[in-house]
Amino acid sequence: MSLESVKTAVENGKVKKIEGVVQEALDEGCSAAKILDAMIGVMDGVGDKFQRNEIFVPEMLVSALTMKKGVAVLKPYLGAGEAVSHGKFIIGTAKGDLHDIGKNLVAMMLESAGFEVIDLGVDVPAEKFTETLRENPDCRLVGLSALLTTTMDNMKTTVAAIRAEFPSVKIMVGGAPITPEFAQSIGADAYTTDAGSAASKAKELAD
Amino acid sequence: MLTKRQNLIETITGGHPDRYVNQYEALGIVLFNPVTGGMVMPGQTAKSVWGVTFTWPAGMPGQFPVHDAAHLVIKDIEHWRDYVKVPPVLYPDEVWEQAVDQANAIDRSEQFVCPFVAPGIFEQCHHLSEIQHCLMYLLTNPDEMHDLIQTITDWELALAEQFVKYLKPDGLFHHDDWGTQTTTFMSPAMFEEFYYPAYKQVYGYYKSHGVQLIVHHSDSYAATLVPYMIDMGIDIWQGPQSTNNIPELIRKYGGQISFMGGIDSGWVDRPDWTQEHIAEVVRRVCGECGTHYFIPCASQGLSISTYPGVYEAVSTEIDKLSKEKFPRI
Repeated sequence: MSLESVKTAVENGKVKKIEGVVQEALDEGCSAAKILDAMIGVMDGVGDKFQRNEIFVPEMLVSALTMKKGVAVLKPYLGAGEAVSHGKFIIGTAKGDLHDIGKNLVAMMLESAGFEVIDLGVDVPAEKFTETLRENPDCRLVGLSALLTTTMDNMKTTVAAIRAEFPSVKIMVGGAPITPEFAQSIGADAYTTDAGSAASKAKELAD
Repeated sequence: MLTKRQNLIETITGGHPDRYVNQYEALGIVLFNPVTGGMVMPGQTAKSVWGVTFTWPAGMPGQFPVHDAAHLVIKDIEHWRDYVKVPPVLYPDEVWEQAVDQANAIDRSEQFVCPFVAPGIFEQCHHLSEIQHCLMYLLTNPDEMHDLIQTITDWELALAEQFVKYLKPDGLFHHDDWGTQTTTFMSPAMFEEFYYPAYKQVYGYYKSHGVQLIVHHSDSYAATLVPYMIDMGIDIWQGPQSTNNIPELIRKYGGQISFMGGIDSGWVDRPDWTQEHIAEVVRRVCGECGTHYFIPCASQGLSISTYPGVYEAVSTEIDKLSKEKFPRI
């Protein structure tokens, strides 16, 4: 029953209730890993609904925030590495680009999907991405966004720099002016149109 | 030959325009006023009258709010009144002189005198609180958001009163981006609850005080909000992106609202722009959208472009097409 309450709370974005229902589920003997899996499953559905325009950004964000609060309750009960099922994901906007809305949404959805997100923020030079990859040799995924036609070239430069030093790292790109053709032309591994599909694609690339 | 203003009226009322309205030509936009102050210029960082820090890095197309921990205005939505200081709207007559001179210099037979308002009410909310927080607060703290929105609305109404007093506008150019390229930021139901009533008040005030033409900028997808736009008094939606299916919107709503856009800035305002490519885009868009309830225009929210020459190149192609599609001129 409590596991169902956890799922309902995440799906409906009950931020204020989630800590209580997660604790109840733990008290009833549900394992932390099982509760985490249930929440990740719900967030998959939330991402799908967002892609189908059945819900909008606020609902998706509140579900993601609810899950984050639920995971915080679970953390002391999870074994090492259990809280993160898909590994690290480095994310940032292309150099010169200060538009962070899309990037922030993707970061929240990635966290909800079980990634440990390293958010480099906005206006991130190529060197910052490569430096962070050096500091995190276990990270296999990078995401880059650009909203401006003026910064698409910088995206290309960053992808090239990552490719040169870390050929096995998978690179995802997105943003209003980006097309699948552009993504392919600069050597990115994936292009997605929204936060929900970005999280799905990231899981696919990580697995 | 009709004046620019007459031609716009003929276009948006389904009358007999004698050419395309060419982008912003019929809008005399009064950019400066003492209440909202000026914009940050390229290379500058400064605070808005609402206390929001903006930066405009050189080489970028516009200004951005700074939302790091040190600069974010609303740090706790439950106590937003502790952080938000409503700016004054009353200034001495002499401070208005520059704006009044600008308005007086506009030939009202050719252009509507349009005060410029940006950011809009939703934008002000997310500039103060950061967009992802703002969108979540609409669900988690609806009472606080209703209060914040009403506070901004009341300020906008007081600003409108000053515009009417000093500039005697017959038009208005008001920004508020309500979506991304492919979707609205919130559901229509949420928009109806929070922002529709605010704009109904603000645009209703302008309409009852001599403003005949309300132009609202949102360079986004917002097709699902068009019924609200009509009801709140918007005459022209400026900035609709092609993702809205503008020809269908014209068929559905033409006569109640007009659409000024269709030429996505992302298509034309590029480092590799060419006159030929712009000609192709303008021809295609005008062919799809027709000559009534539609004003061909780049989606950008002012008569400018990121790359020098692009705005003018679009205008040149619109003029060429006018000669083909309106053979009397």
